[in-house]
Amino acid sequence: MANMIDINDVWKIYDVGGEKIEALKSVNLQIEIGSFISIVGHSGSGKTTLLSILGGLTKPSRGSVKIDGTEIWNLNDRQLSAMRNRKIGFIFQFSSLIPTLRAIDNVALPVIYANGHGKTSRKETYEYAAELLSTLGLGRKLQSFPSELSGGQQRRVSIARAFINRPTIIVADEPTGDLDAQSEGEVMEFFSRINEQDKTTFLLVTHNLALARMTDKVHSMKDGMLTHS
Amino acid sequence: MNISQTSLALQNLARRTFRTYALLLAIAIVSGAIFSTSTLMWGVNSSLNKGLSKFGADLLVVPKGSMISMKSALLTGEPSLFYMEGGIMEKIASIKGVKSVSPQLFLTSVDGDCCVMGNAFIIGFNPKTDFTVLPWLEEKKERPFQMDDVIVGASNSYNVGDTLFFYGQNLTVYGKLGRTGVGLYDNAIFMNIERAYVMAEQSHNTPNVKPLKLVRGQVSAVLVQTEVGAKIPFISFTISKDPDVKVITAGNIITSVRQNLVTLFGSTLVLSFVLILANALMISAIFSTIVNERKRELGILRAIGASKISIFKLIVSEAAMLTSMGGALGVFLGIVIMRVYQRTIIFNLKALNMPYLWPPVESIIMLASIAIAAAVVVGVAGAFYPALQGSRLQPYDAIRAGE
Repeated sequence: MANMIDINDVWKIYDVGGEKIEALKSVNLQIEIGSFISIVGHSGSGKTTLLSILGGLTKPSRGSVKIDGTEIWNLNDRQLSAMRNRKIGFIFQFSSLIPTLRAIDNVALPVIYANGHGKTSRKETYEYAAELLSTLGLGRKLQSFPSELSGGQQRRVSIARAFINRPTIIVADEPTGDLDAQSEGEVMEFFSRINEQDKTTFLLVTHNLALARMTDKVHSMKDGMLTHS
Repeated sequence: MNISQTSLALQNLARRTFRTYALLLAIAIVSGAIFSTSTLMWGVNSSLNKGLSKFGADLLVVPKGSMISMKSALLTGEPSLFYMEGGIMEKIASIKGVKSVSPQLFLTSVDGDCCVMGNAFIIGFNPKTDFTVLPWLEEKKERPFQMDDVIVGASNSYNVGDTLFFYGQNLTVYGKLGRTGVGLYDNAIFMNIERAYVMAEQSHNTPNVKPLKLVRGQVSAVLVQTEVGAKIPFISFTISKDPDVKVITAGNIITSVRQNLVTLFGSTLVLSFVLILANALMISAIFSTIVNERKRELGILRAIGASKISIFKLIVSEAAMLTSMGGALGVFLGIVIMRVYQRTIIFNLKALNMPYLWPPVESIIMLASIAIAAAVVVGVAGAFYPALQGSRLQPYDAIRAGE
């Protein structure tokens, strides 16, 4: 099966006050279309940096990152933004909602940057946003502002937003961090269903080994290197 | 409401209401000041041009001593009581390029006389040679102008058909002029120059009236109309050879008033431009703070697909919306203040020899549009650099900024 993500010899070196910090050291990773994998590692191991590089949010110091065969760091800003918008759904490890927008507007937000791609009408977008929120147990919170939601509810709104443009890749950083055990199970079940139905590729970063074991393949990171896969 | 880039910008403005309202008011004050000042300048300037063109004469020849007071008379309607011999008209008429000449005679006010309300500035004119009064009649009786008739300027309260009682004689209001913006015409009562001489002679025999020191044949001014293509400077120079007269052109009256305009409004305009600069700097500082406060949100927007240009547009459109609303509020406040204080404004302008007519609605709309557009330009210019900084943020660095 073809690779959805193809990372070769990726380095990320930060210059902190003249000192070179190697956050990623020659990372190689190939992820097939429709895979459901996780990366585990301690805080500071470089897993979030790797996630941001393959998601097109941070430029690597060197190395190659291909998404669906395209070298993403050769794209211009407009092309890279379009790729993030259409192909990648991000779930961050902290609250990432826009405080002035209601839950359903937060979910629909990526559509305003789609520039007509997919030709989905506003009505259809909002219907799908409502469906996603209902699936995640927030059917009665569509019109709530983030300040009116609990941490777990906010996290579920972020998860719904990641799926609004029906991306081919979901990159999730501690996606169930604020959720109780029951909600965590429901979210993982939702991820599995989407993965099976749409062949969406999932890449989860977590330090929760129990969560990682629910994925098809577990990679581990230590000191900026993928040490085990 | 479905989400859009515009609604997102509007909701961002609503986030910090005090800051938004304070900024809105600051912009409103500046754009209101610019709008009001330019409207007043426009009104003075256009009424001056309109008035003088209505006046119809290319040159005005007056006794030498009355030069300054004539300007005052033309603009504010204050009487000038210097006289010269009427014989000069023949000399002027003989100059090459002169088409027609017509005399005018200014009489003192007749305050206190029976049946005349307040001060009336009386002008004698010759209906046979006149080319500046009769053409501008707005209302008149359906018969020719007669010896016992008068014509009133637009600022007079008399109406066509009213009877005035001057120096023991009944005079009928034959017609009323349209408003010219030239004080001399708007305030005056015009009568046949022959009747004016008679009235002057009778002033010596009328109890309780100061006799007029006027001799039949003297005139206060000679209005000169030139032929098309005539060399006006040459005609003016030729007339000026007579040491007892001065020549006033429309141009030097306008120049004099424009000097007053510059004095009055120049400092206001300079202050307005300083305020514009201060506003731009203030907007720049506030939007820098806004970008800093919203770093994480901007990073998230980048992550979900906003390009650099989208972020730039979002920040600049917030500034444009805020400043356009501020500009519109300023224009509204400017109109309200000018309307509430219009009597005071016109009185003060008249004291500075400046006639005033409100600009037509289309001109006010144009000035309002310019004031609002200027406010938007200031907003966009002020937010430009912060927006550029916001758009250049590395998404991942911006997202982690709040951690």
